[in-house]
Amino acid sequence: MRGFQICTNCIMDTTDSKIIFDEKGVCDHCNTYYKDILPKWHFGELGEKTLWQIIDKIKKEGKRKDFDCIMGMSGGIDSSYLLYMMVEKFGLRPLVFHVDAGWNTQIAVNNIERLIDGLGLDLYTEVINWEEIKDLQLSFLKSGVPHIDVPQDNAFFATMYKFASKHNIKYILTGGNYSTECVRNPLEWMYYQSDSIQLLDIHKKFGTIPLKSYPVTNILWHKVYLPIIKGIKLVRPLDYIPYNKENAMQLLVEKFGYQKYPQKHFESRFTRFYESYWLTERFGYDTRKVQYSSLILTGQMSREDALNKLNEPAYDPEIIHQDLEFIANKLGITKEELNGYLKMPKKTFRDFKSQESLYMLGAKVMRILGFEKGGKR
Amino acid sequence: MLYPRIIPCLLVHNKGLVKTVKFSAPKYVGDPINAVRIFNEKEVDELIVIDIDATIENREPDYKMIENLAAESRMPLCYGGGIKTADQAQRIFSLGVEKIALSSSVIENPLIVSEIAAHVGTQSVIVILDVKKKFFSKKYEIWTHNATNNTGKDPVEFAKLCESLGAGEIIINSIDQDGVMKGYDLNLIDQIRESISLPMTVLGGAGSLDDVGELIRKHGIIGIAAGSLFVFKGKYKAVLINYPNPIEKELLIRANFN
Amino acid sequence: MITIIDYGCGNVKAFVNVFNRFNIPVVVANSKEQVRKASSIILPGVGAFDFVMKTFNESGLRDIVENKVLVEKTPVLGICAGMQILADSSEEGKEKGLSWIKGNVRLFDTSKIPYVTKVPHMGWNQISPNDSQLFIKIEDNSRFYFVHSYYFEVAEESNSIAKSIYGLEFTSAVRNNNIFGVQFHPEKSHNNGIQLLLNFSKI
Repeated sequence: MRGFQICTNCIMDTTDSKIIFDEKGVCDHCNTYYKDILPKWHFGELGEKTLWQIIDKIKKEGKRKDFDCIMGMSGGIDSSYLLYMMVEKFGLRPLVFHVDAGWNTQIAVNNIERLIDGLGLDLYTEVINWEEIKDLQLSFLKSGVPHIDVPQDNAFFATMYKFASKHNIKYILTGGNYSTECVRNPLEWMYYQSDSIQLLDIHKKFGTIPLKSYPVTNILWHKVYLPIIKGIKLVRPLDYIPYNKENAMQLLVEKFGYQKYPQKHFESRFTRFYESYWLTERFGYDTRKVQYSSLILTGQMSREDALNKLNEPAYDPEIIHQDLEFIANKLGITKEELNGYLKMPKKTFRDFKSQESLYMLGAKVMRILGFEKGGKR
Repeated sequence: MLYPRIIPCLLVHNKGLVKTVKFSAPKYVGDPINAVRIFNEKEVDELIVIDIDATIENREPDYKMIENLAAESRMPLCYGGGIKTADQAQRIFSLGVEKIALSSSVIENPLIVSEIAAHVGTQSVIVILDVKKKFFSKKYEIWTHNATNNTGKDPVEFAKLCESLGAGEIIINSIDQDGVMKGYDLNLIDQIRESISLPMTVLGGAGSLDDVGELIRKHGIIGIAAGSLFVFKGKYKAVLINYPNPIEKELLIRANFN
Repeated sequence: MITIIDYGCGNVKAFVNVFNRFNIPVVVANSKEQVRKASSIILPGVGAFDFVMKTFNESGLRDIVENKVLVEKTPVLGICAGMQILADSSEEGKEKGLSWIKGNVRLFDTSKIPYVTKVPHMGWNQISPNDSQLFIKIEDNSRFYFVHSYYFEVAEESNSIAKSIYGLEFTSAVRNNNIFGVQFHPEKSHNNGIQLLLNFSKI
């Protein structure tokens, strides 16, 4: 049992049980960043030039089609800013889609509307059957694992790939970015959302209704078939241009009347509950450490500020019981039942069937081939 | 000054929210409680929620769902679907609902209106008439049971009857225009408006806020209800709950209301 | 503790929902004991004057509520018909009102109403409030939800603390010391209504 140790460079610590420190007390998240990510990350002139090359390819490929690329809209800042940039500055014609998993907040819905109207775009939505996803979320709660947001994320990915495949679109653009996400959540905190074997196993053991319309993705399908056979590529444009989240938010407010989220992750109240309460209270996993560490590494936050902020509670103690009541109510359980799940014995992704070995193999291959930088481990 | 009311109308089928076209082909649109929650935050004037299964399945209203919906509504909520007795109505009122809507039960037993009104007052008892044009005619007929049963009754005459029985409001729902999003049936609305002085709400056909504006111009104080308009966005009919924000609503009404 | 009188008329649950959301302790009273402990009272009311008045009289709670209000000076807020019964009488019926605020309830003069539907006055309308504690943070011309055919005509102008216009100008809120009444439904008037109820909870 290791003693507590915190990185001297960022603020990741031994609550990430797989963390490794070098002789200077710097963790492997930082070292991976400096060694694997930073050297290959260009967001100045070179970055923009590279991006234009990619954009031109996208446009060429999509010439006679209704859309040249596909983008998901959650109402969040990253995806909203990306949409704005790609349309206004780079002239792309995206198919914009939104996945409604039943947890949309009014602000998110409003922001999506503002962007769509402001940019004159058309929207597709996929509405996940609420009864089914509710059952899936309850299954995950009952299973005892940390990653209870998988049903939502899995649905998002499955829908995204489904639209790309259906409309024969070769390029998927996501708002993922090194600027705020170069440190990734450890696997034991947030397991792969696309591992459908795990999802189905947990549902088999704890679900109460059949999954008739819920979209299940499959790692072989989206990491092998689609990219290799159908040639679908994932692009992260925000890695090629300077991206500062604060500035992005201001721009969205001024240009589109975007509403600011009162708290982090307020696009989905479930995500807020999951990250700020469930993971911290039940498992001691504070995802703020991951987020702030990314900002420290990219110079957007000082380590001291990060440590100070960590001292504040991860959730607002004044309103948490309201949130818990909301979550319980929505899932059709009592607050007592929800508390019960909070306190039951802890499980990990290893307690259920998974494709983890396949992921590890795949990631290794990708890294060798130079396709993926930096790790989720 | 009193303003006209702009009212989203939601249909519940198999516990989920659906949207129909001409009362058929229900398309799943999401979780009713989340939708009501979002509409509440958008500060809609009122909300109508109809359980389209209850009467057909001959079962009780889903009281738990109704209670949850009422808990989310800081504006008047009207519930309809499967209400046949004064006791059921009373129970629904006690869950925090302001108005109940009667459809087939009024056709079968018009006196139910006065029965329920005696206890809670007339303003809370709404009659909703699903109306379809007669073949090769300019006249209309009332249908029930999700447009599967033709009562043969004339909505104009029946609306007058409801007024005399003490209904608080009439909702006229055009089956032909339902979900089509090409505008309200203005002729039908005119006919009914001329025949009663009760508060009136119209539903069926709204395709844009221009349709809402047109109704305000023509009829002033009237309830303007819509389903598809507030639940779909854009030419691909993407499900996205929308409603004019307070400023947009103010401008829309001022531009059209005398 | 804010106490909502459940005497058989009115949307009690809607008030409970509002106070619950804001973590303000609230109790629904249908017994004398519960009323006795009230620190402030809400008197809902929906329906015809006579029906509401009779139901209140027969509920067995009138005496204790009256004592709390007139003797102990507990703040009370009457809502819609619950505000109308504070008057001496109503044109709508024959029952005597509580006479806690002097005045009579009258039918709207339908000749002055330019709409097809004369009564009820139903929908969102504006109020012009005075500077009462009840209206803190509520601006002039704020909208609230109304549904009524009769209005309260106060005997003393000083008892009228808000006005609205429907055909003519009428009193939309009343006050006599610790006794308040609103013609509209704050529990169904979104943020304006919530603000009013929060204001009342602090009186």
